[in-house]
Amino acid sequence: MAVNFEAKIRESEDIVKRAQDRITEITSRVDEARARIAQGGPEIDIENASLEDVHRHTEVMNANIAELIMGLDDVTAGFSRDFDELRTKTTSEKLIGIFSRGKSESMRQERLRAASIDSKLQDLIAKSDTIVKLLEGQLGILNEQKVKVEGNLAETLVDRETAVAELETVRADLQALDPRIIELENRIAVEQDAAARTRLETELADLNARHNALVQDEQVKLAKSQTLERYIEKGKTWVDSLQNQAATQMVLINKLRTDTQQRVVLYDALSKSLKTAQQQDVAHRINEIGVQTDKEAQAAMAAIGTATNQRMAEMMEAHEDHMVFARKVLEQKAKADERFARRFAAIVEKHDKNLYGQ
Amino acid sequence: MSDPLTRDHTELYDTLVARRYFAKFDTILSYLPRVAAELETDKRLTRPETRAIAGYLEGLSRTFRAMSLKYLMTGRDEAFTGRLTFDRHEGGFPVANELLFMTNDAAQAAAHLAGTPSEVELKDQMIRQIVGEQTLPTRLQFALSQRLYNQMLVASGLFLARNDVQGLWLSEQKGRNRWLLEWAVYDTLLNLPVIYLLEVEDSGRTPLLKDERRWPRVQAHLMAQSINGLKLLTIAQGFDTDFEDLHPKSFRRLHLGPMYSSSFTLQTGPIGEVLAEARAPEGQDWALVWTLEDLQSERAERQKSGWFSSVERQIFALDPFAGRGPESGATAIHRFIILPERPYQVLADRNPPGFRDVTRYVVGAGGRVVKAV
Repeated sequence: MAVNFEAKIRESEDIVKRAQDRITEITSRVDEARARIAQGGPEIDIENASLEDVHRHTEVMNANIAELIMGLDDVTAGFSRDFDELRTKTTSEKLIGIFSRGKSESMRQERLRAASIDSKLQDLIAKSDTIVKLLEGQLGILNEQKVKVEGNLAETLVDRETAVAELETVRADLQALDPRIIELENRIAVEQDAAARTRLETELADLNARHNALVQDEQVKLAKSQTLERYIEKGKTWVDSLQNQAATQMVLINKLRTDTQQRVVLYDALSKSLKTAQQQDVAHRINEIGVQTDKEAQAAMAAIGTATNQRMAEMMEAHEDHMVFARKVLEQKAKADERFARRFAAIVEKHDKNLYGQ
Repeated sequence: MSDPLTRDHTELYDTLVARRYFAKFDTILSYLPRVAAELETDKRLTRPETRAIAGYLEGLSRTFRAMSLKYLMTGRDEAFTGRLTFDRHEGGFPVANELLFMTNDAAQAAAHLAGTPSEVELKDQMIRQIVGEQTLPTRLQFALSQRLYNQMLVASGLFLARNDVQGLWLSEQKGRNRWLLEWAVYDTLLNLPVIYLLEVEDSGRTPLLKDERRWPRVQAHLMAQSINGLKLLTIAQGFDTDFEDLHPKSFRRLHLGPMYSSSFTLQTGPIGEVLAEARAPEGQDWALVWTLEDLQSERAERQKSGWFSSVERQIFALDPFAGRGPESGATAIHRFIILPERPYQVLADRNPPGFRDVTRYVVGAGGRVVKAV
């Protein structure tokens, strides 16, 4: 189990690392694209294909981490075995019980006294913490990238506003030129004097040249504005995608945190309650009886039975309280599980059917 | 956070409130070694026991200091700084999960330190940010607080959720070694630090601490039995039964709490009224209760353990008044309350019935601790 978990963790770390590389790669492409636009160089396309690639990869990563979290459930299944052992006799104790009931019982009592789930709890905390760290690392990167791309986008929006304003000016200039050209053409058509006509024609040629230059300028400005617009579209898609990924991470982290907290509190309370209930204060009577012969001890055991019934009943009532807590905690966990399951239905199905690697 | 197991748990959201909480504990803890010394003067504790307690108190104050570093930036940057959860109802101490997670942090502290810039580098970066960007370097402050926290974890000497059994040789009589076994746990249901002190006589051949077969088993057994729900008698008898050549003679359990404070905790009964009426200034608004359970062996008897062998069994002295109330499973239970002058005055004036047999220690300026008569 432990080896399995370690291997799984390493695998996930690997996948997360690769996903992070791709995410940063996309962001740096977004950056580069902006730089190119600023320099007026050829446009770099942030292709849809690579965005999709990242999405696919993050899907794989999330599935992997979800599996890890499900794996924790397998770890915790070990606890219920411990709890059962606190309640019942082991096989060898039952076997000895056939020959000597007293010996079997004292063996069980001794095992009970030495039982402890503390190291298991610590192990659970450590494992869940490892996964949380993994997720938090990923969340940190996602947020960082989001801030970066958003900053970038904000600047680009300003750039685009400028570009659009420039385009408008050029268009206004062009529109202002049109009536002047028409007017000149009309004047040339009616002009009789050759010298004046030549002057007007030169003027018209100048105006036309200017007009052409402006038209070209308009094309360039339009292209720049369109490039920026495309860039903004892609950037927005990327920010959305980063945001979605971050939301998924948050769901995973929250689920894991609450699960672990509740598990630790619940398991601890349950094991202590069981241990206490099982050995509570038979000791009391034994002490008062002191040491007597076996025969007398047997009679005494019967006396203990009646004398401690009351206290045992109280203990069991307290135990019942714990069980009520336990049920409520479990209900809460069920809700969290449901949310989790909705998000990761496919993996849950695989896990439940044990279809890994098929 | 609304299920019954964690209903009493409260998180500290505000930076200043969190810092005040830790400052309060820092003050309280500074008095406690002297209180322990007073208990020794009153013959409630032996010298080695007092020393053991002082060691745990030192560890406890280190743990609180570490925790205060961990949560130094509480409330400043929600995304990255955590929050302390403590038991508000009749407890006042942080919840046990905090200590369990701290144990986990400690296991990773060295790796964390290796991966973060040094204190000097962080301070340098802070100055750059303050001067250069003219902004608050919250992230860097957080990084530094976590670095200092991890440094404390690496330095060890902390009071953890479980502090393993240590042994101290006391004396030798009639070929038997006498040992003081000391250990401490942070009780997970009460959320309080609890110290256990067990004096045993050792009739084994190899000295207990050097006995590779017995000593680890003894340690595991005692740690596994450190449950508050078990009475001292239950634990002692179980130990007596499971280890034939170890004879528990004196067994003490000390609860270092709860801590009451009208600004942090909810309390009912006289102590709540006392604190509310005292209206003590900041730093004086608290009361700490210690409970010392004491179980002494009265005599030892031989009991047959088979056809040819017999073992020694301890018969413990039990509280003669135990028949009246709930059975305590101890020879005696002593309660102590430690509080500053202002609340003490109110307590003395009102003299509520439940507090008649509670020994009171009044603490004052300069770390003075006076037993009130």
